[in-house]
Amino acid sequence: MRYPKLFWHGFVVHFKELSASPFQIMTAAIWPLVFATLAYLMFRAGSGAPSLLYASLGAAVMGIWSTTATSAGGAIQRQRWLGLLELLVVAPAPFVFVLAPITVAIAGIGVYSIASTLLWGRLLFGIDVHIASPGLFALAVPATVLAVGMLGLVLASALILYRAASAFSQGLEFPVWLITGLLVPLSVLPGWVTPIAWALAPTWGMRAMRHAALGGSVLPALAMCAVLTVAYGLAAVLLLRYFEQAARRRATLSLT
Amino acid sequence: MTRAGVTTFSRIFFIGGAISFRALFSWITPWVYIPTLLITPMFQLLFFAYLGRTAHLRSDSWFVIGNAVQSASMASLFGMGFAIDGERWSQTLSSVLATPANRAALFLGRALPVLLNSMVTSLFVFVAGRLLLDFHPPLAVVPKLALVVVVACFSVTGLGMTTGAVGLRLRDVPIIANLVMAILLVFCGVNVPLDDLPRWMSAVAQVLPMTHSIGAARRLADGASIGSVDHLLLTDVAIGIAFGIVGFALLRWFEHEGRRLATLDRA
Amino acid sequence: MAAVIEAHDLRRTYKTTTGVIRRKPLSVEAVRGISFAVEQGELFGLLGPNGAGKTTTIKMLITLLLPTGGTARVLGHDVEREPREVRKRIGYVFGGDRGLYERLSALDNLRYFAELYGVSGRAQKARIAEVLELVGLTGREKERVEGYSRGMRQRLHIARGILHDPEVVFLDEPTLGVDPVGARELRATISELVRGGKTVLLTTHYMFEADTLCDRIAVIAKGLIVGEGTPAQLKRGVADGRVTEVEVFGIDEQAVDRVRALEGVTAVAVEEQDQKQLLVVQTSGERELTQVLLAELEGASVGRVSSREPTLEDAYVALVTRDE
Repeated sequence: MRYPKLFWHGFVVHFKELSASPFQIMTAAIWPLVFATLAYLMFRAGSGAPSLLYASLGAAVMGIWSTTATSAGGAIQRQRWLGLLELLVVAPAPFVFVLAPITVAIAGIGVYSIASTLLWGRLLFGIDVHIASPGLFALAVPATVLAVGMLGLVLASALILYRAASAFSQGLEFPVWLITGLLVPLSVLPGWVTPIAWALAPTWGMRAMRHAALGGSVLPALAMCAVLTVAYGLAAVLLLRYFEQAARRRATLSLT
Repeated sequence: MTRAGVTTFSRIFFIGGAISFRALFSWITPWVYIPTLLITPMFQLLFFAYLGRTAHLRSDSWFVIGNAVQSASMASLFGMGFAIDGERWSQTLSSVLATPANRAALFLGRALPVLLNSMVTSLFVFVAGRLLLDFHPPLAVVPKLALVVVVACFSVTGLGMTTGAVGLRLRDVPIIANLVMAILLVFCGVNVPLDDLPRWMSAVAQVLPMTHSIGAARRLADGASIGSVDHLLLTDVAIGIAFGIVGFALLRWFEHEGRRLATLDRA
Repeated sequence: MAAVIEAHDLRRTYKTTTGVIRRKPLSVEAVRGISFAVEQGELFGLLGPNGAGKTTTIKMLITLLLPTGGTARVLGHDVEREPREVRKRIGYVFGGDRGLYERLSALDNLRYFAELYGVSGRAQKARIAEVLELVGLTGREKERVEGYSRGMRQRLHIARGILHDPEVVFLDEPTLGVDPVGARELRATISELVRGGKTVLLTTHYMFEADTLCDRIAVIAKGLIVGEGTPAQLKRGVADGRVTEVEVFGIDEQAVDRVRALEGVTAVAVEEQDQKQLLVVQTSGERELTQVLLAELEGASVGRVSSREPTLEDAYVALVTRDE
């Protein structure tokens, strides 16, 4: 019964810890700006592009995925490097409730990039941010962070035994940007991509945020975020159970 | 150069290069190499090509060329930066700079495997473009594109020396290298036509590496002859040399300063 | 009463690889059959050189590693099959700089681990204050850990390890790299834990520490226990002999071997000390061996010669070098 409290507390602690590094914030906030700029310039130069606000929102969610891809896969690696992995594993709480707050906090750092991309768009490209349904938007953002964070949890759990975890998950940055409809609508991509996109949190988070800002039905997208959050959680539990046993057998918990 | 000098030069060039390459990359398994140097550039291309389609901007072919050259060049940029930084991290920088060995040979020797990496990357991206996008260059164009990639890599290597030198001084090569990569990605006409950039940005692009090579490559893909673009390629070479000289000078100055202030090997 | 910690023929083999391109599998037996038992309220020490298997043993006991052979129980629960039960009741503290969130304050660190280890609600605040008091960090808890000295970090580690009031505390080289004064304070804290009724298992390679702190010691070398008992028993175990120390200047291997082969000599160790070496010879029996010893050292320059009672360190050296 104390698990929700453990989760929330863990999220706050890790969000605080990650935020305490100005370097982390800068990377989270600035990297997406590069792609936001490119998107704005390309959309402006093209002859039939979606609106710049569309691009702005897309770039914002790209930032959330960016921090997740860069850090979540390597989340375990980082704890290991800090010498903390053993302490986290040896705690009596189930490991999934120890790891989930970390990956969700990582996704949470993405809010700094939401702020920076919207501000950047406003200042340099004159993009006015009008949100049609502010209440639903305020709900869509944490829903997106949670769902993407849980996807990060699946990543972290699957890669727990692999030294190259970090590099692998970083390699997922572009692919997920591409296929989850953040800037490129799913209709432009080949049909077989759509089912894959539907299984990924950023697709629905993006849809929820976009519809809340520009108009459209938000609730189905929010519902899908919730469904995926639960599904990812279950997948992570299974993965972690298997891999924790394997780690105890192969003694890779304290590799530096 | 005397015969003995040439032999020493070549030995340092090849062996020194190979050893340092292995040392730097000994921790990289194929599982890291393939994603970082091949898969990511491929997805970068797809991302921008589809973005171009979304915006109804230019053509697939246009994006393939820009991104292939850029991806290949980035291997050179980072390779150079890491060669400089890597030496520092493994505490060998001072011993390397202190040897009487020809320093140019030493650093250029590291540039060779990096160039090979770049060629492989560009090939991969071109093939990906051919198979997955609307890019069908005639066979005759292929060697010309290869030439352009070499020129662009050379040019960016020069910038890499400056980047590495500055990064060394500021004690954070990866951040500086990433920053430079971002600038090149935005300014050099990789994914945004120079004509569609604000005037000051396209002006800056003219003095950056890669810009002219990419322009040349696109014209070659459209059927132009090497002769008609050779001025672009030479301009890029010149830019590369200029940045290389600046970088080399900075390195020597920082090394001198480092000796003075004992900061060469500080992590 | 059943022992609090029991290990029966515990074994652990690591499989690693050598080489970069063509990886060859390599099997390393870190722990080769260790058995011991720790009673309630004891301060038990695992003493041994680096690489002896101390850390591997402790990690098996705290359920971080699965034994590849043998069994172990902590408070009656099997470490392999009931890890959660074990984890709830034990505390784990290790030496070194890592293991804390540097960017956060000590208080934040403790609150986080309190939450993780199930100490929540109103009890949490009181308990945190209690452990801070015990380790002597009250008043400094709001500072960021990155500003802490090594000794302070160690104390914070201990505080963290006992937050949930475990019955058994495992300490892995807790005074590693700590200055002498800090180390003494740490040892005082550790003794305090046992006085409070906890059972403590400590690994260390510091003789002095094992000698002063531990009720009983097991000496580990190369994955096996080579001696066990109270510090006094171990010292007595160095036969009934004496220890002769000879200062030599440039002694060669053959001379050392000749000394080792002498009748009555139980162990020989050579300590390098700058320009000279110290030959430490343990002898058994009443025989006066000094003259014989010096005869074997013919040819080498000899400085001071002294004779003394054996210490724990001598017992340790004897045990550890026995099979060499």
